[in-house]
Amino acid sequence: MKIGLTVILVLISFLKVDAKVYVDITSPGFKQLPTALYDFVGSEEGKKVSSIVRDDLFYSGVFDLIDTAAYVETPLPVFDPTNWLPLGIEIVIKGSVSVEEDILKATIYLYDVVEAKKLFQRKYKTKKLFLRSLAHKIANDIYNIITGQKGIFSTKIAFIVDEGKKQGIYIMDWDGKRIKKTGITGNIILSLHWSNDGNKLLYSSEKEKKWKIFLVDFKKRKTISIYSSSGLNIVGDFLASGNGFVFSSSVAGTPDIYIFKFKNKEIKRLTWRDGIEVSPSVSPDGSKIAYISDRTGTPQVYIMNIDGTETKRVTFTGRYNTSAVWSPIGDKLAYVGFLNGKNQIFIIKPDGSGLLQLTKKGNNEDPCFSPDGRFIVFTSDRDGKKRIYIMEANGKAQRALTPIYIKAFGPKWSPYKK
Amino acid sequence: MKKLILFIIIISFISCTQKKVPTQSQLELQKETKPEKPIITEIPKQSSEGKQGVIREKEEIYSEEVSEGIKKEPAEVKSFEELLIKDIYFDFNKYDIKDKYKENLHRLADYLISHPLTKLIIEGHCDERGTNEYNLALGERRAISVRNYLISLGVPANRIQTVSYGEERPVCEEHNESCWQQNRRAHFVIIKEE
Repeated sequence: MKIGLTVILVLISFLKVDAKVYVDITSPGFKQLPTALYDFVGSEEGKKVSSIVRDDLFYSGVFDLIDTAAYVETPLPVFDPTNWLPLGIEIVIKGSVSVEEDILKATIYLYDVVEAKKLFQRKYKTKKLFLRSLAHKIANDIYNIITGQKGIFSTKIAFIVDEGKKQGIYIMDWDGKRIKKTGITGNIILSLHWSNDGNKLLYSSEKEKKWKIFLVDFKKRKTISIYSSSGLNIVGDFLASGNGFVFSSSVAGTPDIYIFKFKNKEIKRLTWRDGIEVSPSVSPDGSKIAYISDRTGTPQVYIMNIDGTETKRVTFTGRYNTSAVWSPIGDKLAYVGFLNGKNQIFIIKPDGSGLLQLTKKGNNEDPCFSPDGRFIVFTSDRDGKKRIYIMEANGKAQRALTPIYIKAFGPKWSPYKK
Repeated sequence: MKKLILFIIIISFISCTQKKVPTQSQLELQKETKPEKPIITEIPKQSSEGKQGVIREKEEIYSEEVSEGIKKEPAEVKSFEELLIKDIYFDFNKYDIKDKYKENLHRLADYLISHPLTKLIIEGHCDERGTNEYNLALGERRAISVRNYLISLGVPANRIQTVSYGEERPVCEEHNESCWQQNRRAHFVIIKEE
């Protein structure tokens, strides 16, 4: 037994040493990896799959995808590194996709030019219906080999659409494709929050002049009203444990921060002011809450312990700072600051240092980090109408995800798929 | 749709029954207002904004009564009431009540005190410039300021309900200060109970 364990441990450590990271995305100045990605052969679907993989890898910001015209080999799985070395290409991706009735079968090959070896040859099988899911899965696997990190290409973004008389909750892929209605609507919907396993969603909605908190269970396909009272109730994040959530309520007077526990349905009050305390966001380790308070006369970002003690002010620049959210590792907060008559997205460290403005054009609101912290999804009216946008977490590569013909806002990025 | 019709029929039936045997409070209500006035009244504003939810349902009920041939002209708004529940306005990102509105709030408090069968809903609204969640809290805080003021004038707390619509129900949709000014408001809805 002891020997067996040792062997396994040795094997694991050996594998760890062997696992090369091609691009260290944790280093701020990493260099994009020159990559050749062939259109996948074998069927029309092959080309569709490789084009989605190409977009995923391109927008990840990690790959420098070399134009297909420069490719020197056939798309068949035959690989000779000497073909690629003179071109400076370091990674070659080939693949084929076959279709049998409504089943897609794919085989993907990933080659390392510098070390002259095949990094993987992987087979995939799914229903034709899930072509996009398949492509995102392939992109995740490639990304994972290259960076040593989990890819976000299979994650989703929930958001709110103004349907005229009503508002509805919609969900789309990270690339803005496959926009789907959940069928959940309300007069006004605000504040979507995913559970850590991605199976549930909290939101607030006004019904018959009352603000209620609703819990959507995607697995049970059920939505319940979980909390309501007189006055305002705006839901915040789930607790890190998943046992409850934070919210802002005026149940006992003016809007203050509370915790709701699913067990016993009890609420615990954390702030006791006469002004406004709103938008609580739980730190990833569950120990702190960032929120907005107007105790100085203007709304500013504060952090307190999860039990309501030790409040510290975070923002000191600007007179209107709201909507603070944590990055997935808790090293930063993104928030919205009012500057020259417009709302802009900023990031700041929890200790108040490292302030950086990320947006400049139009009004930009509702920031939310991707689960890997490398992107921020947000709402912008820069093109005249509220739409969902995405950018890298340093403000680079800003682009719209949702079409101009729908008024969309309040995006929330799902956790990794489990 | 079927459900709605059934609901309308049931409500019409209830209201017919009530008409046959008016209670004391209904008689009082009829003294103050014209008969057949819907139980919930929102004084019409220039804008059609803000009419929804409960009120829309009641309007549908009312039109059903009309088709049954018991039509009466819709109750006209008394100018006194119109003045009484005029919106009051706030500065950007503020929720303190300006002195110029206090006289009107005194009249509103007197009215509520002398009409114990009424309830008041205060809607808090904001302009579009802030962020949605904060605006919702700000709208609520504005409504609470007004509520607290009315309570300080002797109106029982349990007769005043607040609701915030943040920036979601503007009366004016242009992107300039004259519009924003009109949207930063507390709006009043008086409910007359049986």
